[in-house]
Amino acid sequence: MKHFFVFLILVFGGLIAAILFRQNQDPTRDARPVLRIYAPSSFLKAWGPGPWLKEKFETSCECRVEYHDGQDAAALVERVKSEPKSRAADLVLGFNQYDLEIAHKGMEWKAIKVDSQNFDDTVRPLLSRTSFIPYDWGVLTFLAHKAEVPVLPKTLDDLLNPDYAGAISLQDPRTSSPGLQFLLWLIQIKGEEEGFQFLKKFAPQVKVWGANWSTSYGLFQKHQAKITFSYAASVVAGIQEDPLSDIVALPFAEGHPLQYEFLGIPSTCQNCDLAEKFVGLVLSREGQKVVMEKNFMFPVIHQVMQDSPFDKLPQFTTIDMTVIPNLAERERILKKWSQLRRAE
Amino acid sequence: MLASFIDSVRYVGHLIPVAFLRIFMGYYYLQQAMLKFNGDFLARPRLAAQIADVLPGLNAPVWYKILTERIVIQHWQAFALVALGLEFAIAISYLFGYVVRPMAFIGLLISINYLILAGGSSDELYRTFIAIHFMMAWVGAGRCLGLDYYFFKRRRGVWW
Repeated sequence: MKHFFVFLILVFGGLIAAILFRQNQDPTRDARPVLRIYAPSSFLKAWGPGPWLKEKFETSCECRVEYHDGQDAAALVERVKSEPKSRAADLVLGFNQYDLEIAHKGMEWKAIKVDSQNFDDTVRPLLSRTSFIPYDWGVLTFLAHKAEVPVLPKTLDDLLNPDYAGAISLQDPRTSSPGLQFLLWLIQIKGEEEGFQFLKKFAPQVKVWGANWSTSYGLFQKHQAKITFSYAASVVAGIQEDPLSDIVALPFAEGHPLQYEFLGIPSTCQNCDLAEKFVGLVLSREGQKVVMEKNFMFPVIHQVMQDSPFDKLPQFTTIDMTVIPNLAERERILKKWSQLRRAE
Repeated sequence: MLASFIDSVRYVGHLIPVAFLRIFMGYYYLQQAMLKFNGDFLARPRLAAQIADVLPGLNAPVWYKILTERIVIQHWQAFALVALGLEFAIAISYLFGYVVRPMAFIGLLISINYLILAGGSSDELYRTFIAIHFMMAWVGAGRCLGLDYYFFKRRRGVWW
């Protein structure tokens, strides 16, 4: 027994010594205040807008920006809530309009002043909620490889054409935000009963319900799917990758759903002023241009898009999806979707 | 000590396959512990986030839920350190075959907790680990190709 306890004491002693040694060796230790930002991986990766914003902000803030990779909104909120005060998040980015209810659950958010910004008309109605500010937005639509789809669909019903059987890649609405958008769009356009009837007929057209956007879009990029559901601005990404890209965004007669991405400052923030300054950078013309070009989403500030490749995209009729079904309602719809899939 | 190490092969050589499994498990735990140590396991509330994630749908006694919610999540840093320390302890114990029996019981308790909190994705892994730890404790797996044989020869008792 004595051996056992001595052994445990030695192991824990060694571990604590190793941790202390590592902390002393940490070159990043400095006295500057730390701005802790939680954001999705796509924002933080080398090709996302995060690194540029961090570098730009650190040149003037006399602080250090620390990014934390958040996953989906629910996990993000749980992480932000469970952080101790000393490591509390100062700013959270990456909520879409469906996540805001989750974000509000059990968490307080500070009001953010953005009066001086010249917001685009598309996002103005969203500014009434001062605790969450949109920083980019996108139009969701179907994309197609023009060479592989000679007759481009113009309506949802056109997608039932037997020519597209097994040719469409979509996202699982339970795990993917565009997937959920597609389902809610369908329900809004056709009504719940008719929407699910449509899905039944639509099932043979779908090659895959990918767990996330990357999976379904990856299949499309590799020409394993001819049509995919994605952001209209993905066309710009496609052209940047390959100037001869034949990807086209399809305007549908029914109108298109929009996705907004929001940022918020938790009321438990430690460096709230810095967080507000960072929000200012994200919403500046320069910041918005970077967000647009690296996130492939539309800017929320007026005229930032002007003379950019994004400006050349076709105009999409959008539909009003500001009335968002609550969490319980969405869960009910998703349950129904799951049952339909099981029955296939 | 070296003589008794060689003796262990002569007298309990039939346990060599178990010793192989023990060393493999020790290596696995060392690898996992090093990943956590070099990653942000101690700096970020990974454990707390995982628990918070599965807690609402957890099929466990109320006292266990309250304990995890009020104590483990609130003091996640201390619990992360304890979990990591115990993983290192299991790793070293299994690799050198030292105090394997009591450490196997610790491993058993950790695996039961992970089984409850894993949220379904790693169920099979932790079930297997529970069986392995239980077997390690039962046979006294440190007696073959391990330091436990040295102490077992001199002190006897259930701890070796």
